Amino acid sequence: MSAFDTAEAAARFGRALVSVDTRSATGLVGDLLAHGADPVVVLVEVIAAGQREVGMHWQRGEWTVAKEHAATGVSAAAVAVVAAHARRVPVSRGRVVVACAEREWHALPASLVGHALRAHGWDVTLLGASTPAARLSQYLHDLGPDATAVSCSVLGALPTSRRFIEAATAAGIPVLAGGSGFGPDDRRALALGATAWAPGAYAAIDAIAALPPVVPAAPPLPAAAVAEQAQLEQAHPRLLARLRSGWSLAAGVLTGAPAVADSLESVVKDVLDQSLHAVWAALLTGDPRPIGETAAWVAELLDARGADPRLVAELRDLLATVLVDFPLSSELLAGAR
Amino acid sequence: MHPGTDAPASTGPWPGLTERVTSELAGSLNLRRTALRLLDLLRPAFADWVVLALPELRTGRLVLHGGADLTATTPITARVDRERGLGHVLTSGRTDVLHVAEDTDAVGGLDAMIPHAGLRAEAAELRPADVAGIPLTARGTTIGVLILVRGARRGFPAEDIAFAERLAARAALAIDSAQLYEDRTHVASVLQAGLRPPVLPELPGARIAARIRSAAAHLDLAGDFYDVLGSGDDWLVVLGDVCGKGVEAAVLTGRTRQSIRTAAYFDRRPSQVLTALNTVLYEAEASRFVAVVCVRLRPIGDGSSAVASVAVAGHPPPVIIRAGGTIEQIEAVGTVAGVLPDLAFREVDVRLHLGDTMLLFTDGIYEARGADDFYGMERLVELLPRYAGAGPEPLCEAVEQDVCDYLGGRPHDDMALFAVTWGR
Repeated sequence: MSAFDTAEAAARFGRALVSVDTRSATGLVGDLLAHGADPVVVLVEVIAAGQREVGMHWQRGEWTVAKEHAATGVSAAAVAVVAAHARRVPVSRGRVVVACAEREWHALPASLVGHALRAHGWDVTLLGASTPAARLSQYLHDLGPDATAVSCSVLGALPTSRRFIEAATAAGIPVLAGGSGFGPDDRRALALGATAWAPGAYAAIDAIAALPPVVPAAPPLPAAAVAEQAQLEQAHPRLLARLRSGWSLAAGVLTGAPAVADSLESVVKDVLDQSLHAVWAALLTGDPRPIGETAAWVAELLDARGADPRLVAELRDLLATVLVDFPLSSELLAGAR
Repeated sequence: MHPGTDAPASTGPWPGLTERVTSELAGSLNLRRTALRLLDLLRPAFADWVVLALPELRTGRLVLHGGADLTATTPITARVDRERGLGHVLTSGRTDVLHVAEDTDAVGGLDAMIPHAGLRAEAAELRPADVAGIPLTARGTTIGVLILVRGARRGFPAEDIAFAERLAARAALAIDSAQLYEDRTHVASVLQAGLRPPVLPELPGARIAARIRSAAAHLDLAGDFYDVLGSGDDWLVVLGDVCGKGVEAAVLTGRTRQSIRTAAYFDRRPSQVLTALNTVLYEAEASRFVAVVCVRLRPIGDGSSAVASVAVAGHPPPVIIRAGGTIEQIEAVGTVAGVLPDLAFREVDVRLHLGDTMLLFTDGIYEARGADDFYGMERLVELLPRYAGAGPEPLCEAVEQDVCDYLGGRPHDDMALFAVTWGR
């Protein structure tokens, strides 16, 4: 396989994303592959790299959600070109089922890993975004794969990722976990009962091959934490409403310019959802870091939209007030200060 | 039964092993995974080398699972002697134990117990060894044989053979269930193949995307359906919803799609396609009805715009998201197909310009029931402008995600979406 200038290709791909130009993006990827580029390198260093930029544009408040989605659509079309190419590689290894757990709508990372594995000779079945555990189980019984891989980009999908892990390991099938929701190391993945964790597509290729053929069912999670997370999930709409009214009050006092207020309004649901989901994640995994990480992410998001920095502290106090009846969560929040 | 010549004492106990065989094998309904799990539980604690010999239900072909590589599956093409070794255990349902001495070159009966040269060589490496063929008998039939090998200084005393037979009885039930499940799944998947949503073709002048989310989460079968047919610069997009849910509904969607294809072969006008569909369904069985929206797409002039002819039969009409963000609801009405004779359907023509998207959706979308109320058309119409110009795939994804968020995990009806964006 001939080398190519990945930085230059990534820059060209990035420009195609910015201008939402599907034809340029798919043309570029097709050319790279036709000239012998490694499909995994194209996936990781051209498409995924470009897609990361898309996320940054949104986070910095430069792009609307619609523009982010449109650019993601361009990436998906480019991935499809690589997929068609990878399908020509003969199957030489076992079968892998790759999916996103329920409530995980970022299908791109999972499809990226799926096609990378396919390019390495694995027989891959991709189940796509927000796959209910019952549907996954059906596929596991029907296909009897050698391994499964679950992709989780958002903290709110960690509880359903745990159900995915339960479904797979109950059938003795090892699970590889990956995606930003699992954090920067294997702690959350292993706490949730995954067999292994991979930080990216390259690592996933090695990790899948190293999985044991049979694993025991994932042991139960700590009962008190599971119970409290379930209560939080059930109370989510109510908690969200209380946070929202408190937030609106604080934002009203601290925000002068109407443009800033509009910009804040467009992210408020994400900010509040994420803040509560971080508590879910910390409860289930015993890893307190999601709370601090989410607070930092919120601070960055608000700063990019010109919000008063005091709003971040305000949100932290609001969370503590709203979650006062949840003892483990309160403890986690206090510890994160 | 011939226990090993040196008759060693039991090498057990294996605490919890029988319980683990029962509970862990119940976790999977897949034959290969169930076999793999059994092999993994037995090796190396109970035996040094294990193979599971299972005749396939459909073909009768013998397949050996395991060996030095647990994950290996080895089909056997040679005839198996029914009088000796493996064949005898299978037909008689009786355990057979043989001792393979170290010094003899002859593998004494091993060829009949392990009818594959490569696997036999693996087992012979453990000499002197005891080889036990334990029948797997479930529900009155011997469905396979567990071949266990123990190497030097560890033969099979009688109590270990008795233990292995108890294990095999438990494992046999799980394996039999998995085999039956696999057999049924094969039948179902063959029948089902024609009922799955079609792979979308590439249209020369437009980009398209579609989604179906089945009410029965574990099934890939729904009563909602879509199809795209045509060629050159004349295409027909169809989306619909048959009465009922699940398998029965899916079968009717298959018939409906086929009727539409045939009708469109003769006349691609949506009004005529729907008239033909109505007549065919009405004459077949008047109790089943189908709601359909039919859109014919043809480019105008240089292809920078298109005319979309829309006709509906008891189905919500499509919505247009203009490139600039305005939303237009198409005013098209028509009676549901299949219950009344001699219906006529009216076509509405609309223009699609570059970047305009037409969204077709079934009632499962706006009738999705959340905590307080239905999702509703208002919520949909409010969401759509944000995705103007985003293309069909992001649009479908956004609507699906918004509706699923609104459902909050509650059950829902079948849901289908189809989006066409004019311009490539």
